[in-house]
Amino acid sequence: MTLNRGIISSPDERDMFIGWARAPAVDRRFLVAALPLGLAGVGGAGYALAAALDDPGAGAWLTGATHEVEGVFSRTPYPMLRIADPAAPFGMRTILVIAEGKCTSALALDAFAGEAVRASGVLIERGPRRALEVPLAHQDWIAQLDAPPSPALAAPAEEDLGPVSLAGMIMDSKCFFGVMKPARGRTHKACASLCIRGGIPPSFWARTPDGREAVLLMTNADGGPMGDAILPLVAEPARVTGRLVRVGDIVQLRADAGDYAPADA
Amino acid sequence: MGHKYQAIQWNGNKLVYDAYVVIAGVAFLGAFFFVGLAPHPSGHAADPVVLAIRALGSAAFVFLTIILAIGPLARLSRRFLPLLYNRRHLGVFTFLIALAHFGLATLWYHGGGPLNPLVSLIVSGQPGDPFPGVPFELLGLAAFAILFVMASTSHDFFLNHLGAPVWKAIHMGVYIAYGLIVLHVAYGYLATEAGPLAPALVYGSFTGLAGLHVASGLAEWRKDGAMSGRKGPFGRDWIEIGDPTRIPDGCAVIAPLPRGDRVAIFRDGRSLYAVQNACRHQNGPLGEGALIDGLITCPWHGWQYSPRNGVSPAPFSERIATHDLRLESGVLFVSARPNPLGREGATVAIGGAIVGGYNGDAAP
Ligand code: FES
Repeated sequence: MTLNRGIISSPDERDMFIGWARAPAVDRRFLVAALPLGLAGVGGAGYALAAALDDPGAGAWLTGATHEVEGVFSRTPYPMLRIADPAAPFGMRTILVIAEGKCTSALALDAFAGEAVRASGVLIERGPRRALEVPLAHQDWIAQLDAPPSPALAAPAEEDLGPVSLAGMIMDSKCFFGVMKPARGRTHKACASLCIRGGIPPSFWARTPDGREAVLLMTNADGGPMGDAILPLVAEPARVTGRLVRVGDIVQLRADAGDYAPADA
Repeated sequence: MGHKYQAIQWNGNKLVYDAYVVIAGVAFLGAFFFVGLAPHPSGHAADPVVLAIRALGSAAFVFLTIILAIGPLARLSRRFLPLLYNRRHLGVFTFLIALAHFGLATLWYHGGGPLNPLVSLIVSGQPGDPFPGVPFELLGLAAFAILFVMASTSHDFFLNHLGAPVWKAIHMGVYIAYGLIVLHVAYGYLATEAGPLAPALVYGSFTGLAGLHVASGLAEWRKDGAMSGRKGPFGRDWIEIGDPTRIPDGCAVIAPLPRGDRVAIFRDGRSLYAVQNACRHQNGPLGEGALIDGLITCPWHGWQYSPRNGVSPAPFSERIATHDLRLESGVLFVSARPNPLGREGATVAIGGAIVGGYNGDAAP
């Protein structure tokens, strides 16, 4: 006959923990040994999982301060400011203008197109890339200046850098520039898709063959805004064949949505 | 006994249990944040909200794994019964962690955009929508919905009103939820992060849990196998149990019945009693319990029944069915038919010394 005894059997078969009574000595001994081990295991799992996290990525969202700039506002391909900066390559710095939240296309800025303006907001920066986060509720953050716009900033020189084939990932320029870290991959896909759908410019994050990071502003083949057709490929490994065109200090990746394809990680 | 039996409400053990649950939660989340907020070796710092989403999601997974391990562990060894005792509070705690994970992820990743956050959560990954691919968000949402139903029906109020079989069926949904969570993690987090530790933990937990369930199921199956198929000379309605002197005093042996139920045969000194094995509370295995102060005591939460008539001591009135016993030439037989609730079963006495072997009325 088989009897129902446990693997760790107690000297007295009746020794059994009952919730409403004091635990038997054999249970107390077991718990005194097992509970600290269990707690250490749980804490150790949290420690190890966090230590194993990938590099969250560069970038900063400087929410503590308001950043004020003067420059020329451009409406195309995406809302952006160009400011004169002798220290920067080509003497200028391009700053994308992005609304709070994920709805940049709701900004009504046509009146400022091509004008010299003063603007303020929260700076987001990743390496040489800049974005200015501005409110949606009002337009107090932007004002037209009396001075005429500098032609160098209003229509910067374009240079065709030739055709390219690249592998990388399509990112939303807001989260990727520093608002969310990490801002890549499947867990961020829905967020990146919403951002791009909401008018935040997409960036192509590629590694050059020599291992350097390249962040390219994505436009369609004609240099216009990218459009929603690209959304299925956002935040997944992708390949693209297109042209690189430098506009001022920014390198644009010009390719239509059909020129992008999924790539293996 | 009655006053002790009432203690299915709050008591010292439950408070200690809950304190350990909270300490474990703080240990996991604290360690995760302590390490995660420190700059990565690259010098880059993680976003605290993304970190919190990951810490809470990982904690929910780890605690759910522990919850699911407690059942089979307690069947394999009585030493794990203290973990089983207040498992429901651990379950509700885990649900609250999952709720925080769900809320933060929905607001942070899906909020503030051109779609309602809940709509974004549901349509992401749908074919035809701009967000295709395996919808790991939907897998997580489905698991969360199951945990929500379980947490909100966890109180004994629902157990009493829905009945133990329905309540148990609802709470078996936790296995579906766990499977959905493994997929949610595999297609989300594991598809995003590169390191080997997280996949090892997730798939290791899943495999370990499956192994524990198989081990405890096998142990039970072996016990059932050892006890089944013995229909003695008294027809289909009497199941042969064997030599009753081998039942330890104060304990029981469990035997399967032809219709799939089980019967528990308890020994109290020289007397033997048979009752249904399933506890009235949550179908706990009474035969894995013991006689305490002369009462059959369930190993899960300590409900008690008289071995004579299956009735709980006053002021309680829960009843389990007894079964008749008979002893022939030193071989014990139990009736496959339960007696009507409240009726005393035919009991059997064995002779000789209580400890020291069988000295019965006839040699086998
Ligand atoms: S199942 Fe809870 S006391 Fe028996």
